[in-house]
Amino acid sequence: MIEYLIDGPLWYFSLAVFVIGVLWQLGSIVFAGRKGDLSVARGNATSSGFKNIFSRFIPHREIAPQIGVQVVAGYLFHLGLFALLFFAAPHVLFLEENLLGFGWTPMPHWAFIMASQAAFLGLIILWVRRMTNPVSRLISTLDDHIVAILTFVVMLTGCLALLEGFNALRLLHRFTVELWLIYFPFSALMHTFTFIPSRAFTGAWFGRRGIDA
Amino acid sequence: MRIKTLLILFCLVLPQISLADGPPKSLNSPEGVSAISPGSELWRAVRQRDGEVLEGVSQVKSVDSGMLINARGDQWARFRISKLTTYGGIAIAAVFVIVILLYVVRGKIPIEGGLSGRMVRRFTDYERIVHWTLAIVFLFLTITGLILLLGKPLLIPLFGKEVFSVFASASKEGHNLFGPLFLVSLIMIFLSFARRNIYEKGDLTWLLKGGGIIGDGHVSGGFFNMGEKTWYWMVILIGFAIAISGLILVSPVFGQGRWIMELSHVIHTIGALILITVSIGHMYLGSIGSEGAMEGMKSGYVDINWADAHHDRWGKKCHDENLIISAEEYARLQGRKPDDTAELATEQGK
Repeated sequence: MIEYLIDGPLWYFSLAVFVIGVLWQLGSIVFAGRKGDLSVARGNATSSGFKNIFSRFIPHREIAPQIGVQVVAGYLFHLGLFALLFFAAPHVLFLEENLLGFGWTPMPHWAFIMASQAAFLGLIILWVRRMTNPVSRLISTLDDHIVAILTFVVMLTGCLALLEGFNALRLLHRFTVELWLIYFPFSALMHTFTFIPSRAFTGAWFGRRGIDA
Repeated sequence: MRIKTLLILFCLVLPQISLADGPPKSLNSPEGVSAISPGSELWRAVRQRDGEVLEGVSQVKSVDSGMLINARGDQWARFRISKLTTYGGIAIAAVFVIVILLYVVRGKIPIEGGLSGRMVRRFTDYERIVHWTLAIVFLFLTITGLILLLGKPLLIPLFGKEVFSVFASASKEGHNLFGPLFLVSLIMIFLSFARRNIYEKGDLTWLLKGGGIIGDGHVSGGFFNMGEKTWYWMVILIGFAIAISGLILVSPVFGQGRWIMELSHVIHTIGALILITVSIGHMYLGSIGSEGAMEGMKSGYVDINWADAHHDRWGKKCHDENLIISAEEYARLQGRKPDDTAELATEQGK
């Protein structure tokens, strides 16, 4: 019964919430509408927006020493998670069989292990920093903590099921993924889709005024 | 060759034994005298009862592939089941009981003069991140490791074999995955705290007085006292032994034989049990056992009265160099309003 629920209705429900929720959120941003900027442009908004998408990958020299741990941990976590999500053999197989109909070469097992270790280490450090740094702690909301813990649990249940020998562990992982998908559109996890337009908008807004964002 | 000869002999003799009337009679039996079964000689040789290590020839080319039965493996398995599991479980339970008794008898150790509200910086953000990262990884490894070590006698009676097999598989995968993170955290801890944990003059006095338990009066301490330094070096040295032995266990592809694996397992388990038992005491003293201690790893600041009471030489330096900040300044740094100082002091005392 539980297996049927997790593999069937709950999976389709969570997928529907994820897709519709994300599209709804992105649509509400795109179609929000704002007044046109009537001021005389002092710089090129398009090039500044484009530049800002990439320049933000590297921290500003002035603040780099203060956020060094955050930057390194951030890269460890995000790159590790990306590799796990799209290049782990079980995920590639799952996407091929259940969603896309085609697959690609997965990463070798040793790379999978290293990617997951990088992701775990990065996430733990980021969450501990959020809790220990007074400024980060103050600006953190309940949503930030839920997102961190939920993502950690999803990754953890996936790694605990690594042997692929017990259906209960596979179901546990899939169930946590479904919770994650349902929570995704209503949380800070949306930054997965909004960080590029957000950077572009900020860069363009400042660039038009002749300011280096 | 010797094993081969014995096996042929065994095959020739086996039908004779099976056709014999009843079990072989003992030499001392009043019913008569019988010869010693040749099978027992064979198996004595195979099991290497005489201590002689026999290496045969096999088509399989790998480490120990010529070993028909690994007698040392039996010894290791018996040691693991009867000694490591039993005494390890007893040690952990005993430390828990001691800590509970200590809390019941002594309660939380108060700061002499109470909390002043005036604070001094003890740990940076990075040092606290490193500490808590190691703590989280260590706790995860402790839980999964103890499930693997003690799960059979403790969890099977509770949940049954099938549920335990799920727990064990999950624990093994999680333990193997988080193991290297422990090594990384350990390196970060070593680089962050090694210099301040070098033993210095006065540490021996602290040890001889049992950290203040023996005799009257206060025992002088620097930034870290002798007990903390010893705990630190235990974590580093035993931690590295655990991490390296764990890597040997998790990567059996570098030509290490069974003996190395068994030895690594014993080192890994004994080392882990030592760290787990001592860490229970560390967690107790760093939280509910000592007033104001937790604040150092929570906010990075400690009350100056706490510093004077537990680390007087460092406390004196803080006084001399005017490193103490007011309760209002501390509240501001923690993002609180100045009138939240009372609330902060209450939290600090917890």
